[in-house]
Amino acid sequence: MLAIKPYRPLEGKRLALVIGSGAVKCAAALGLWKVLSQAGIEIDLLVGCSGGSLFAATMALGMDVDECIEKTQRLWNRKVTEKRDMTSLLRAALPRVFNFNERFGMIDDQAMVQNLRSVFGEQTFEDTRTPLYVVATDFHSGEQLVLSKGRLVDALRASISIPFIWPPWPVDDRLLIDGSASNPMPVDVAIKDGVEIILAMGFESSYPRSVSSISRFAFHVNSIMTNNLLKANFAFHNLAHHAEIIAIIPEFEQPVGLFDTSKFPYVIEQGERAMQEQLPYLNRLLAAESSQVK
Amino acid sequence: MTTGIDQKRVAMVIGSGGVKCAAALGLWKTLQQAEIGVSMAVGSSGGSLYAAVIALGYDIQVAQSMTIDFWTSDLMEGYTSNLRAALSGEERFTEFSGLINDQQVYERLANVFGQHTFADTHCPLYIVSTDLYSGESVVHSAGPIIDAVRASIAIPMIFPPWQAGGRWLVDGAVSDPLPIDVAIKEGGETIVAMGFELPIRSRMHSYAAVTGHFNSIYMNNILKATFAFHNLAHHAEVIAILPEFERDIWSFDSNMIPYVIEEGTRAAEKELPYIRRLLTIG
Amino acid sequence: METSVKQQDQTTVVSITGSVDALTAGELTNLLLENIDSQHVRLVVDLGGVDFMSSAGLRAIMTSLKESRKHGGDLRLAAPQPGVEKILKMSGFTSILKSYSTLDQAVASFGS
Repeated sequence: MLAIKPYRPLEGKRLALVIGSGAVKCAAALGLWKVLSQAGIEIDLLVGCSGGSLFAATMALGMDVDECIEKTQRLWNRKVTEKRDMTSLLRAALPRVFNFNERFGMIDDQAMVQNLRSVFGEQTFEDTRTPLYVVATDFHSGEQLVLSKGRLVDALRASISIPFIWPPWPVDDRLLIDGSASNPMPVDVAIKDGVEIILAMGFESSYPRSVSSISRFAFHVNSIMTNNLLKANFAFHNLAHHAEIIAIIPEFEQPVGLFDTSKFPYVIEQGERAMQEQLPYLNRLLAAESSQVK
Repeated sequence: MTTGIDQKRVAMVIGSGGVKCAAALGLWKTLQQAEIGVSMAVGSSGGSLYAAVIALGYDIQVAQSMTIDFWTSDLMEGYTSNLRAALSGEERFTEFSGLINDQQVYERLANVFGQHTFADTHCPLYIVSTDLYSGESVVHSAGPIIDAVRASIAIPMIFPPWQAGGRWLVDGAVSDPLPIDVAIKEGGETIVAMGFELPIRSRMHSYAAVTGHFNSIYMNNILKATFAFHNLAHHAEVIAILPEFERDIWSFDSNMIPYVIEEGTRAAEKELPYIRRLLTIG
Repeated sequence: METSVKQQDQTTVVSITGSVDALTAGELTNLLLENIDSQHVRLVVDLGGVDFMSSAGLRAIMTSLKESRKHGGDLRLAAPQPGVEKILKMSGFTSILKSYSTLDQAVASFGS
């Protein structure tokens, strides 16, 4: 006797947008959002991880597309992305090696925190117009953590704590790091909220053209593992649930560096393009009678 | 039930775990005593050593002494000084570099595997490594076994990557730490998988320790997510055997090997009644 | 979505054109399962004409894959387009089932 799965009606057909990690590439979500707004389609839930959480937060607060672009560009100014030389940092650290601890990061995070404060101020999750979840990782246990209360600045600063770049960030009684260390594209968060249609925007980390130092190598290995973690989580959640996940993975023919804000217009355009391709299907899905949908 | 089910045979999958992978010998011992055969052996990282040994049909006692000779702490010779040189920029570190001299490792692998190829195995053998550039998993099933194993165990930064088949390869654990998917793809029915989580440090006082910690977090999360996926994707049973080690076992600690094998046996014996029941159905 | 079924050697070939998504996956699942029984356990799904696959589509393939394996056979894919290939890779499908660039290769992979 061959079992045929019963239909599961799409209750209310809520739509979620999950924006995975990808630093500057996450701006593609703004292009996606432009297309949806023009089509009159509203997003009911936003989930962000790492760089994606910055864009998810501006969108959740109800800023229009142009405002989002302006604000998120402000987050990545030169001061924020100035890299300190790894070796000089370590030479300074070596004499005081007993002081070295897990709160280590190559770049001074004060500029980033300042920028986050100037954009988000004291606003909390409760101030958002659209429900928002931000994903981070517990530094000690490696577990995924979903943030949905308190100040946005804290949640965002925690979620973007890329290993070795920015130090981990304390929230309540935990030390938090980049959400992508546990779940780079957290579709499960939207699924657990009961959303049935999910636009999942994710980005694969690109690899450096050459590796000329041990820290670069560590970063490269990190990128490989993040990509594999993205795939593994996606593979599992795809199968495990009934939600319809439409994966939108924009192609970037031009290389887009981690902090390359000059590429914003290009990235946003790619996001628009990728969403345009899926728009006809999304419209059909939203218009379909519940009984028609598997 | 139907044709295609391997009566009294299981597919063995052994995941990464350094010295802990020797526990697979305990599992193998248990299966042999229960007269359960191995339909295929799949290994990743440290597990590849044992998957190969099992597929080649080595005597268990021989395998045990080979293991003890392999995992000695002098494998890590030069690590500290090379790390310092790399961090300070004294020594140029590229994607082909490693922190230990791999000549010794290669010699030991040659002692174990000699000129054996995948064609010499008693049952199909699959070894997983990772492409250094694309990050994708690579499955080896032909050619010299030593090449596949050397690639599979190439822990990034510690061992230099290994070139085989025109690709630069590193540790299988970075893409597929417990390759149950390979067993599924290659027609495995009842799959017995032995995997290990990386230990989590509580205090970190060096760059190397923090790097190690991040590695553990990422790798454990990859392990969990792939395991969850593989379980859902398989039409038959996947029996996970997760030995518990009361004592701390670090990557290169060959004194612990008898204890490790014993724990492997213990964990396997716990699952044996269920495995037996599964194999007698149909 | 359009489908057609034919027998090639000992293999059932199901060819699909169009989109395999939440609106069409139910139909596909039924079709695939109908073509799996004790006499017919080798399935090739020809994706040459498929331009889109969502998670519902992937689950349809998975259900049929497991069913064919339970019967001692297998389900293999042929000629996925680049966009669909990308989704198959990202969702881990290429690690647990066999996929070939052409239909002939997929059918031949079952041997005689």
